[in-house]
Amino acid sequence: MLEQNHMRQFLIFVFVLLIPTFALWTVASGPLAVPAIGLVNLILTHWFPDVVNTLYVDGSQGLLMTEFGEKNGTLIPLAEAEYRLGFRVNPGLLTYSLPFYTALHFATQKKEYLQSYLWGFMILYLIFVFGLLFLCLKELMVNVGETFFNQPGVFVPDANVIGILYQFNVLIIPTLAPAIVWLWQSKDSPLLQIALGRTRDS
Amino acid sequence: MTRFVFIFVLLLVALFSLEVLKPVQEHLIVPFTGMLASLSAAIILPFDNSVIAYGKVLQFRDTGFAVSIEAGCNGIEAAIVLIAAIIAFPARWRDRLVAIGLGFLAIQVMNIARIISLFYLGDWNMVAFSWIHMYLWPTLIMLDVLIVFVVYLRYLSRKSKPMEATSA
Repeated sequence: MLEQNHMRQFLIFVFVLLIPTFALWTVASGPLAVPAIGLVNLILTHWFPDVVNTLYVDGSQGLLMTEFGEKNGTLIPLAEAEYRLGFRVNPGLLTYSLPFYTALHFATQKKEYLQSYLWGFMILYLIFVFGLLFLCLKELMVNVGETFFNQPGVFVPDANVIGILYQFNVLIIPTLAPAIVWLWQSKDSPLLQIALGRTRDS
Repeated sequence: MTRFVFIFVLLLVALFSLEVLKPVQEHLIVPFTGMLASLSAAIILPFDNSVIAYGKVLQFRDTGFAVSIEAGCNGIEAAIVLIAAIIAFPARWRDRLVAIGLGFLAIQVMNIARIISLFYLGDWNMVAFSWIHMYLWPTLIMLDVLIVFVVYLRYLSRKSKPMEATSA
């Protein structure tokens, strides 16, 4: 009986909590991404100083500005261009892992909530930074192309590596990472202990 | 737990690598995605004659709004996660195969609900469509995977209890 209660409680709570967590995330996703955008800006401008000008926050999105201009679809040096070429990146594609994790975490009966939540949040945030980096690399790969890959004296990851890691980070990680962190952190919770057959119903 | 995570990650990488191979895409993923589109159309058409379906595209006759079901919208990624988790957890192969079959079915039922709901949502409001398409449905599909996996663990645990009692 107790076993069913844990499962039922988890299912109800997780669906109920998804509503406020996603609502809160929708409002806060812009500010939430600011530290990550700052960090990725630092990495990209040091890694590709001749290609990346800056990555900055623009509303709830990031704007990746290059050191190039564009004329009739062709990349041209900035000195000859009327405007600087930039691309929008959407950090929301990666950060929705956070409301999902929050709902999973607080829907599970545990002895302690806050400390483990902060750890989980931090792990997911680091994964988000990594994902954001590959989101930007994919933009540079697709939009800057050969000029991006042929930077003298600069290591540029292979196009296939960027492509696969981009796909992995956008399609799989935002939902898989919170699930894995939750499973790991909840392995001692009554829900999973019973599911794993390690405790008896009372 | 460490052993489970190690095998799980290994299987995940192997299955995803397999999925992106060109022959697998050509002979399995693309036809399967097309079949999902046909199935979604077959569910909608008897109830709504304003909808037309061709190939992997569903379209409204009056507004012209259409969705194309592409790779990545077919639930295969979620199924791969479930398959890796089920195989990584120690159990009899018969139980694993049944769980994979039923789990795959559960994911695809959700996925067809997702395709149909997004099709109608997109015709109504593109902002809502984008938000739910990009953020909410992937979360719900992964939640489906997680629930199927926990229910499978409970099934294994319950199954082993009478055997323990008998042997005691």
